[in-house]
Amino acid sequence: MMKKKFIALLMAVLMVFALAACGGGQKDAEENTEAASLSEMSWDEIVEQAKGTKVSFYGWGGDENRNNWLNGTVADYMKENYDIDFEYVGMDINDILSKLTSEKEAGEESGSIDMIWINGENFYTAKENGLLYGSFTDQLPNTEKYIDTEDPETLNDFCKPIEGFEAPYAKAQMVMYNDSAVTPETPKSADELMEYAKANKGKVTYPALPDFTGSAFVRNIIYEKCGWEQFQDMEADKETVKKAIEPALEYLRELNPYLWNEGKTFPADSTALDKMFQDGEVVMNMSYGPFTVASGIADGTLPETCQTFVFDKGTIGNTNYMAIAFDAPNKAGAMVAINAIISADLQLTQYSELRDLPVVDQAKLSDEEKAAFDKVDLGKGVLTQAELLEHRLPEMPADLVPVIEEIWEEEVVGK
Amino acid sequence: MRDRLSAYQMKRRAGNRAGSRTMRIVLALTVFVILLPVIVTMIWTVTGRWPWPSMLPQSYTMRTLQELFSGSSPLYEILWGSVIIATVVAILGTLIALMTARATEIYRIRGRRLVSWAAMLPLIVPGTVFAMGIQVILIRMGLGDTVTGVILVHLVAALPYCVFIMTDITAAVGNSLEEQAQLLGAGPGRAFFDVSVPQLMPGILSSASMAYIISYSQYFTTLLAGGGKVKTLALVMVPYIQSGDRALSSVYAVTFVGSALLVFFIFEALIHRIMRTES
Repeated sequence: MMKKKFIALLMAVLMVFALAACGGGQKDAEENTEAASLSEMSWDEIVEQAKGTKVSFYGWGGDENRNNWLNGTVADYMKENYDIDFEYVGMDINDILSKLTSEKEAGEESGSIDMIWINGENFYTAKENGLLYGSFTDQLPNTEKYIDTEDPETLNDFCKPIEGFEAPYAKAQMVMYNDSAVTPETPKSADELMEYAKANKGKVTYPALPDFTGSAFVRNIIYEKCGWEQFQDMEADKETVKKAIEPALEYLRELNPYLWNEGKTFPADSTALDKMFQDGEVVMNMSYGPFTVASGIADGTLPETCQTFVFDKGTIGNTNYMAIAFDAPNKAGAMVAINAIISADLQLTQYSELRDLPVVDQAKLSDEEKAAFDKVDLGKGVLTQAELLEHRLPEMPADLVPVIEEIWEEEVVGK
Repeated sequence: MRDRLSAYQMKRRAGNRAGSRTMRIVLALTVFVILLPVIVTMIWTVTGRWPWPSMLPQSYTMRTLQELFSGSSPLYEILWGSVIIATVVAILGTLIALMTARATEIYRIRGRRLVSWAAMLPLIVPGTVFAMGIQVILIRMGLGDTVTGVILVHLVAALPYCVFIMTDITAAVGNSLEEQAQLLGAGPGRAFFDVSVPQLMPGILSSASMAYIISYSQYFTTLLAGGGKVKTLALVMVPYIQSGDRALSSVYAVTFVGSALLVFFIFEALIHRIMRTES
């Protein structure tokens, strides 16, 4: 009896292998010609082609609210309006890029990733290495309808030309926050932050670079101390950069003795700092999500007395984007999905459900749409959209970022 | 004589008692060390805020359970995926290991040292490096983003342990009883299944459990081989752990451990049942 079971099992396993081998091997020659003509198709034809297909959106999966928004609100919207099955797959951007690189290396023409959540250095690398499909945003009707096409953030991503390879997804902005029940004061400049750190010795710190948030914080200090204009077209040469940011390095070294662990070490990443703040080990935290405090209070992870603040001179803001993979199996579907996500409808739900800054141009909205945005209750402890946008500074060129991170490690840590 | 004996016995008993007391303390400590984090993790599953130095959380939340049962990746779907993949890996891994062990230990094939050594190779190459290389090959074979591809990759990760366990027990059991059965007229199949398999059962069980838990906890290899399309519990859990959401991480961790234990329990019960009906 055992023997029969064994043979049956073996047969079953062999069949699975055989089936899988047959299914995957074939490649569609038709698909290539389709992709080539996609750029000449009219929008109606693209929507028609996308009907009844499946779109896979790959991006960071660590935010349960965003996962639910994408697989809920957005997926329903896509099904209802375009008959598209929309699926969000959580994957780190590094893994996405390494997956695409492998697929390119293997000569894959039809992969599994349709669209990617991307920006900054990653966009720059992906574009340079041919991992993205190409220019497509001009073909989306909602680009003209809702997006400010002259906005530097529509044209450039971390000062690198976008050239239609990606469409805006959401806006982020650096903010700082603390618990008003612990420290009522909110530093409005780098100098006030120094006083704040002196008053709360050992209870202020920032994530170690190259953490995304820590790196943005240091760039913000650089803007405070050296202005932001000179960096927009600076060459990524270590000596030049070092010379330009010297006052900021001086400030950071001066700050060190008052930091957590006297600036000899820094929390490994922003999640470590988040936990330290939640545990009361530090008195101040920072985030690239401008409405983090509201979500935290709503989730119950932050106390209701938390307050958000920015520097008077402003904080760095960036936009994150959606791009299409070079081997996307459903490029038409991805275009339709991206077009839908930049619409006022979905941007509004993103604003109300996720509290993410919308990418739509306020000036292009109808009165009705504007009123709907104004009606959104952002929650407690945050700044308004207008306050944030007034204090918004542009990002640095993508290739300066790793240079600054390297200099920080040599010149600031433990000095 | 009698007195002496009883004195000896008493001494031994006393020694036993002392020994059992230390044993009990060690046991209690072990249980404490294992149970305490489990209990803390269980509390964290419904915790909103728990700042130092409070003994108990300051606020509680149900959002984690909501996310677990009605979130964007339904629990039954990912659990089912994980269990199927891990079970297939456990069965295949143990079968291959059993055959390898018999080839090297009983039939003593030529180059058996090389085979045993090669079976341990996957331990030497780091999983991340292996996953990135194998991904290209899987795509070329048309197995990228498929469950089959993921099972193959998990098998490679699990095999060294399976082969190690099965080689040990096969060498210990030997084949003299099997030969005896054949001398008495049993066919080779019957001799193997009725004589050797029951003896090998403890090894088969540990090898299968080992392969199961290795497959169940693979993250990076699943991510690359499955391209995010093949969803397992680890694949959904790790991003939440990385993002530092303690409550969500805890709820997934408890589910992870609980479901693995449950599957083991079912495994054991099934095997016992089969063994009983066989005999």
